[in-house]
Amino acid sequence: MDPAYFTPLCTLTSSLVLLAGIAILWRHSLPAYIDSFARQSFFFVLVILAVAATTGTRELYIVAAMVFVLKVVVIPRLLHRVRRTVGADLEIHPYVNVPFSLAIAGALTLVSYVVAAPVMALSDLPTRASIPLALAVIFVGLFIVVSRRSALTQIVGFLVMENGIALLAVLATYGIPLIVELGVFLDVLLGFLVMLVFVHRIRETFDTTDVDRLRKLRQ
Amino acid sequence: MILPILLLLPLLAAAGAGAWRGDPRAVARGSAVTSGAGFLLSLALAGQVLREEVVGFGRGDFLRADGLSAVLILVVSMVAWISLTCGEGTLRRARDRKELDDAHLRRYYLLTNLFLFTMLLSVTANNVGVMWVAVEATTITTAFLIGLEDSREALEASWKYILIGSVGIALAFVGTVLGYFDFVQRVGETSHSLNWSVLAGVADRLNGDVLRIAFVFVLVGYGTKAGLAPMHTWLPDAHSEAPAPTSSMMSGALLVVALYAILRWKVVVDACVGSVFTDRLLILTGTLSVAVAAILLVRQVSYKRMLAYSSVEHVGLMCVGAGLGPLGTLAALLHMIGHGAGKSFLFLLSGNIREAYGSTRIASVRGLLRARPWTGGLFLAGTLALLGLPPFSLFVSEVMIFRAGFLAGHPAVTAFLILLTLVIFVFFLGYVNRMLYGRPPAEVPAAPESRPLELLPLAVNLAVLLAAGIVVPAPLLRLLRLAAGVIHP
Amino acid sequence: MLGWLLEAAQCLLTLAAAPGAIGLVRWIKARLQGRRGAPLWQPYLDLRRLFRQEVIIAPSTSWIFRAAPAVLFGCMIVVSLLVPMLAAPLPLDGAGDLVVVVYLLLLGTFVLSLAGLDPGSAFGGMGSSREMTIASLAEPTVALAIFGLGVTAGSTNLGQIVARTLENPARVLSAGHLMAFAALYIVMLAETGRLPVDNPATHLELTMIHEAMVLEYSGRYLALIEWASWMKFFIFLSLLSNLFLPAGVAATLTPAALAVSLAVLLAKILILAVSVAILETQVAKLRLFRVPELLSVSFLLALLAVTSSVLVR
Repeated sequence: MDPAYFTPLCTLTSSLVLLAGIAILWRHSLPAYIDSFARQSFFFVLVILAVAATTGTRELYIVAAMVFVLKVVVIPRLLHRVRRTVGADLEIHPYVNVPFSLAIAGALTLVSYVVAAPVMALSDLPTRASIPLALAVIFVGLFIVVSRRSALTQIVGFLVMENGIALLAVLATYGIPLIVELGVFLDVLLGFLVMLVFVHRIRETFDTTDVDRLRKLRQ
Repeated sequence: MILPILLLLPLLAAAGAGAWRGDPRAVARGSAVTSGAGFLLSLALAGQVLREEVVGFGRGDFLRADGLSAVLILVVSMVAWISLTCGEGTLRRARDRKELDDAHLRRYYLLTNLFLFTMLLSVTANNVGVMWVAVEATTITTAFLIGLEDSREALEASWKYILIGSVGIALAFVGTVLGYFDFVQRVGETSHSLNWSVLAGVADRLNGDVLRIAFVFVLVGYGTKAGLAPMHTWLPDAHSEAPAPTSSMMSGALLVVALYAILRWKVVVDACVGSVFTDRLLILTGTLSVAVAAILLVRQVSYKRMLAYSSVEHVGLMCVGAGLGPLGTLAALLHMIGHGAGKSFLFLLSGNIREAYGSTRIASVRGLLRARPWTGGLFLAGTLALLGLPPFSLFVSEVMIFRAGFLAGHPAVTAFLILLTLVIFVFFLGYVNRMLYGRPPAEVPAAPESRPLELLPLAVNLAVLLAAGIVVPAPLLRLLRLAAGVIHP
Repeated sequence: MLGWLLEAAQCLLTLAAAPGAIGLVRWIKARLQGRRGAPLWQPYLDLRRLFRQEVIIAPSTSWIFRAAPAVLFGCMIVVSLLVPMLAAPLPLDGAGDLVVVVYLLLLGTFVLSLAGLDPGSAFGGMGSSREMTIASLAEPTVALAIFGLGVTAGSTNLGQIVARTLENPARVLSAGHLMAFAALYIVMLAETGRLPVDNPATHLELTMIHEAMVLEYSGRYLALIEWASWMKFFIFLSLLSNLFLPAGVAATLTPAALAVSLAVLLAKILILAVSVAILETQVAKLRLFRVPELLSVSFLLALLAVTSSVLVR
């Protein structure tokens, strides 16, 4: 791919990844969160494909396929299924309301530009302009975990964080060695499945997935 | 050859526990045997490391044990063996009381052995990425262990644990990626670019700013697993709700494995930008952890939570020690051994106490010395050991840390730490005294003590604590010097 | 000389074409909803009717009520002179840039809100307070979105921005540019009172914003206010088309270039008006307490546009 188009295309798709993550802070219903995550993963696959096409690395095509199957198809489907069984659909009264959350997301983006400045300065890759966006996705995912009440939303926030980290790896180093990548995938998948099991158990025991109700151990 | 066998043993035990369909007692005995063999092998490995300095295995040294790894393997194997052996009685009796069933017990041994395997892999893996994968795997294996009994509190604790743990580990991965990025940019892509040995070798060529940012992420991320404040919030819940043997393994071994990961990265960052940056961060985080533990420990209602906060305090002390130069690091490593022995000791005994009194509340436990003289006596001894009293080894390591603090030019911080330790001493001992003396309530059955054979492995704990307290044995001291030399070359 | 004629032409274009743009949007909405709808030139007929109508003024009003329509109309005329519609740069560029344009637009909103409060009726006050809430969130976004463009262009002068973007056409597809466009589009919906922020066809108390403020007006005053709001819509559309896709804007003042520019401008505004109409048929009106959420999203988009174009130097 022509390098002149590569950088703007990369920045554009990375911005879409960030915007899909921020959409989670804006919307109110859990199906919207899961679909936003699926969309974000899809944009991430586009980034990987762009990098793969420009650098010609065969490994990245495999990674793109794995991300697509896992994060665009399998995980959202599982999440929707759990959501339907558990019956949690609305995120009512998050700890931080929507306009404030969006303002914090803007602040986090500025912070990630500051933090990423040395990283951008060191990098000589054409993708370096998008590195702060990847960091912003990580921070936004962390903020979703911290500020939302439903256990399923917290899982989505964790998955958004993982997307951000993977995006950082792709943008900063054109991917990490394949064996580590596989291990990371497996870990994330297992962690996700374990979390789903726990959501079921929480629902059975507490009759709600509102983690604010899990407060007996507060001391 | 020792390294792969060391890792294979728990895997075999796990496979056995997974496949076995009969009486869990067989699985329990099998695990006790394999973990005991593992402990002996760890001693042999320590000896080998003392002779050869670094032991490797596999292509490009896939598994690598230097002084630091050897110390941690010792701690992990010791805590695991003691927990699996002594904890067996507690669990068996829980099953007899119908609190747990056979499937639970088999699952417990399967998960615990996998947990042990992942911890051992974390400290022997040469590849930074593999280490990360192993630490994340510890979170997954322990999540179900914490929630083994289906109570509301256990579920709440395990949810907080897995969520906060996974988020923390993810942040540690960001640090790993940034470190890898730095390496690739400055040195170029090589086949073993994520190996410790390689990273530490070229560290002086890496970019300092990026490494500093990476270290902050690593500290926050692995610090979450280590129970450093302010990421410690999952710890009291998880360690108090888990079954006693699991708590002892987590407090004694897992926390220091996470600290090990931070120390490995410290070596790389220090080789690039000098040790001032990481030292300051470690001292700050450690002091904060001790302070938080002190503040929250004074109003505890449950003795298991009190023990958990004590873990936060001790990990904080280890963290501070690691930031105080070679002497402090030596002290911190000695502290790891002492804390592993002492904390597992106390947690296992607390399991017995809970069995006898039926509650984890301090207020419910009275007259322990009269109702259960052996348990009570050992609990008192363990408390004195954990609080840093002579002749136990934690006294030696704490004094060394404080001395290192004064020598390194941080008198105010060290004085503050001494004050906090005193506060914890007063309140912890106060609560324990309340539990020990007085008349036992009528409901406590005057059942016989657990069979002495069960308490025997605890004697090993005591031996360790005493031995290293009176005079640190020469081979151990050499090993600790070697390990400290890895961090401060 | 030619420049001043050009300015006058822009003003006349806005005056003449604005009712047509609104008429087009209404007609398309009607057709999409399965109705026949009023003809495209209905707004012109409305204006003619209103100018001939008798003016009824409530006795509780003051001079503000009578002055507001003129001030609002005047603001819109001045803004139409400052926005680059047919050519860039313009002779009056020195008089006003982004800040002046935003200020004038806000002045119009402010004056209208005062006029809504003036008669002392319940509806008027309600409409004014709602309008001010929306304006306070939307105006910073306008400034920020165009500021982002201005930084890359090196000036906050609208004409200069268009000229620089013309020189560098690849910039149009950059992430910052597209995000600023999205932000400004949402703000346009808010400022001009379109769905999902405000329903321009409703007179229900629950849902009125703009209509509530002008409820007391009649005759030529109402005509001026309606015309001014249609001009605002036209100005926003031309800002959107020329700032973000300036291809076709005349760089030289030759008749051929100007003719092309006019045709291209009308085409772009046609497309945007159709998009607004389609959007209005697709979405439902947001509940009032959800409007700040939407405007926060647009502000965040503008902020991201600025950071991605500024902080990456």
